[in-house]
Amino acid sequence: MNILNKKLLISLAALMLTVVSPASAEKLRVGMECTYAPFNFKTADGVLSGYDVDVSKGVAEILGLELEYVCQKWDGMIPALLANKFDLIIASMSITDKRKKKIDFSGPYRDSVGQMVARKDLGRDLFDSAGKPDPAAFKGIKVGLERATTYSDWFEQTLPSAKVVLYDSNEALYLDLMNGRTDVIMTNPMKAHLKFLSKDGNDGFELAGPVIDDVDYFGVGVGIGLRQGQEELRDNLTGALKTLIKNGSLKEYALKYFPFQIHNDKWAD
Amino acid sequence: MEAITGWWDDYFFASIVVLKIFMASLLLMVIFGLIGAAAKLSNSIIAKKIANAYTIIFRGTPEILVVLLIYFGSAIALTSLFQLFDPSIKYVDVPPFWAGTFAIALIVGSYATETFRGAFLGVEPGSIEAARALGLSNLQTFVYIRIPEMWRIALPSFGNHMLSLVKDTALISIIGLNELLFVAEQATATTGKPFTMFIVVGLIYLGISTVITLFVMGLEAYGRSHLRAAK
Repeated sequence: MNILNKKLLISLAALMLTVVSPASAEKLRVGMECTYAPFNFKTADGVLSGYDVDVSKGVAEILGLELEYVCQKWDGMIPALLANKFDLIIASMSITDKRKKKIDFSGPYRDSVGQMVARKDLGRDLFDSAGKPDPAAFKGIKVGLERATTYSDWFEQTLPSAKVVLYDSNEALYLDLMNGRTDVIMTNPMKAHLKFLSKDGNDGFELAGPVIDDVDYFGVGVGIGLRQGQEELRDNLTGALKTLIKNGSLKEYALKYFPFQIHNDKWAD
Repeated sequence: MEAITGWWDDYFFASIVVLKIFMASLLLMVIFGLIGAAAKLSNSIIAKKIANAYTIIFRGTPEILVVLLIYFGSAIALTSLFQLFDPSIKYVDVPPFWAGTFAIALIVGSYATETFRGAFLGVEPGSIEAARALGLSNLQTFVYIRIPEMWRIALPSFGNHMLSLVKDTALISIIGLNELLFVAEQATATTGKPFTMFIVVGLIYLGISTVITLFVMGLEAYGRSHLRAAK
């Protein structure tokens, strides 16, 4: 190859490609959707905000990392991580066994739980003093659930005495609860808050009973995803998340968007 | 409509991105199309086979698949290639802009190959014979006879290819480029007004494609001007 050709090729490569050598390894790129409010989204001013973004900044501060954000659609999130388009997924990705075959996860930083929503004037104690659901109290109560979800599985196994009505969408749950066709629904408390309880005219309803965090049904929660074979980084991330739980930062991040915390304090142990 | 306040600048910059992709991919598309047509019309069997494989593959696979394959595939392939020479390189990244531009240019270029091939075949044999009789060289025949006749034949389909290119830019949002559809999704996430946000995208695309259509209509009228004068 003559010199001119070589020069042309190199300048073309410089124009179109980013070749990264280990020297710039301190900078980590974080993949997220940027369209998943209130966890990761861009405001009209173009500022990336949300719970995931706050968590990533908290972790970066503790570990002394410099972060760069990459917006990536959900469907390509894991392929993009594996193709080295970014180094971490902080995008509200639940830790599952299936995903663990491809990528590694830090410890959890957001829970994946269920909680019931009921009319305030229901007039029944659905849970006993220990916070366990009381099967007798659910007799004759109509419960709205989404079809084929972890919540419907949990209900069938735990409270067979309830009269269950199945729906195809999360929105339909709220509509029939408002119409009085159901007395109680069970869903994700974050969704219930964002789509229903925080909206005008729904003050007659409330979250009922404690958060139900049965790991066998609902999984461990949401973690930071990274490529396999980076045990040191993974353990550092988990350690940083534990610090954020202990010093109250995670709770503070959650209270910006929800009236309740969305992690489990036990994770810090 | 008031939900949209504050997002106008994002839509504006995203429109610029769309226009940039359009310009870059238009240039590449013409190059791919001309090379493809030249290969198909050449006497070399190998060149013909390669060009046929190109049009069969890119006209026969979903466009979104090509975009994803080029974006993810090129990163993995180039990284392994560069690591052969310098194992200390961590990764090579092809930015979404170039990966996307290259992908849609390849796709639409495969259609343009057929258009250009047909147009070159459509040049009147009589015109070529006349050029030969006048003693024009091959190059002169190409520049003064083939090209002026050929572009008039290719223009209507070529206009369609340009519209395809514009619309295909929307596919690039899947690999994270900050283009119009992506802005609309971000705005929807924050404002909860999907209809308004996506209608704006539709109107912007309609505006761009209308300009292209008018431009092609103007060119077609110019291409017919010698016929009109004969009335």
